[in-house]
Amino acid sequence: MSKYQYFIEYFEQFPLVIQLLWIISGFFMIAVLVLISYLKMLRSYLRKKEKNTTKYEKEYELSLLTYLFSGNEVDEVNPEQQLIIDQLKTCSIDKLKRKILVSLLVKLKKDISGEMSESINKLYSQTGLIGYGIAQLKSNQWHVVVKGVRELAQFHSTEVYNEIFNIRNHSNREIRKEVQLYLVSLFNFKGLAFLDDLKTSLSEWDQIQLLEELHRGETQEIPDITPWLRSENESVVFFTLKLAKTYNQFEVKNTLIDLLLHKNKEVRIQVILTLGHLNVVESKEILKRNFNQSSQEEQVVFFKIFESLYDNNDESFLLEHIRHKNFDIKLKALSMLKKFSIDTFKNIEVLPTDIAYAKIFKFVENN
Amino acid sequence: MNNKKTIVLAEDNSTLSLLLKFRLEKEGYVLLIAEDGRKAIELIEQHRPDLILTDIMMPFVSGLEVVSFVRGKLNLGSPIIVFSAAGQEEMVLKSFDLGANDFMSKPFSPNELVIRVKRLLH
Repeated sequence: MSKYQYFIEYFEQFPLVIQLLWIISGFFMIAVLVLISYLKMLRSYLRKKEKNTTKYEKEYELSLLTYLFSGNEVDEVNPEQQLIIDQLKTCSIDKLKRKILVSLLVKLKKDISGEMSESINKLYSQTGLIGYGIAQLKSNQWHVVVKGVRELAQFHSTEVYNEIFNIRNHSNREIRKEVQLYLVSLFNFKGLAFLDDLKTSLSEWDQIQLLEELHRGETQEIPDITPWLRSENESVVFFTLKLAKTYNQFEVKNTLIDLLLHKNKEVRIQVILTLGHLNVVESKEILKRNFNQSSQEEQVVFFKIFESLYDNNDESFLLEHIRHKNFDIKLKALSMLKKFSIDTFKNIEVLPTDIAYAKIFKFVENN
Repeated sequence: MNNKKTIVLAEDNSTLSLLLKFRLEKEGYVLLIAEDGRKAIELIEQHRPDLILTDIMMPFVSGLEVVSFVRGKLNLGSPIIVFSAAGQEEMVLKSFDLGANDFMSKPFSPNELVIRVKRLLH
């Protein structure tokens, strides 16, 4: 006690600055010691975890391959496979073991296809992992739900269609996107049913991804897309127009013609392009009739598709627009006139004073 | 005398390597596994295999470098099948330029691989 007393008295003799420095040094020394021990504990924990992960990975890898190679065509599940299923089912109760098992299955599924890939899907279901996937759908954390939906899609779990379809209008964008991809990748065109009452907008990127998934699908049986063309959700209309174009949906031509009166100009432009792509000749007269009331963008787009729908009766319409105030329309009208009615083109009177027009005319004449 | 044909498989996905080992050994081949390109080169130099299966994307030494080494430095004529993932079409073309004989795009069917291996070895 006297020894400590001596140290305290000795410490108190120091000036205040020195005392303060000693206190700070002492504090940092303790902090460093605490941190070193924490890091040591963390490192040993991570090493132990890594060791366990490797151990379980090897164990499950072997079980998985035994399961895949012991299958025969007579029994759906033979006793050897059943034993592995039971073992894996027990293991999957533990969170870490389940994570390792799922990542192993995902890793293999990414690289193989065919019968073995289907066997892995079956194993995912048989080991009860599907149940954990469904449980993730109920999480409050969006990334857990996304992971769950993705996992269920990866293992082709079609039996959870209803659970996933029910969250199609989730407030989180990422979840909605994953749900849409699940539906389309597993059910192809039938999966597009979510478009019926989609409350939110489909971004351009979402639409590209959906088209890509549809392209990968084996079914080319396309349902009636008319209701989606009439959707209140404009992004659904845009997407359906892409579908009509990609899959040549000539059957919807009447609905497309009706859409020429859509309130959104961008929709009308896409409709004109789709009509042109599908070569809907009936739309030409309507577009010609409405030409002067249309916006300039629509007029330009109409001239883009006009060439594929042109016949001899359209010559007077072309002549009306060879002096249009818009450069693109003027150029296109002159080019078409040269292509389809060269005599009329040669008879066009170009005043030398109109230098700009003479230049365009000369360009068309020489090209 | 052992007449079994030897195959070197260079693949960093251990589960896939093991699966292919099981499958090809069932067909009577001896399979040597390398988890990266460097190890694959060592195995090829050491065993001069009858066939080489290699992934394109691997740690340390890529599949392209393995093909280049086998054809350029070792002057070994063993058939080479390259595994590629989607979007690696350019790499596949390069591997053909370097001397690969065939390619399979991932995900692939192990049964189809066996057919291709048999076709190249018999």
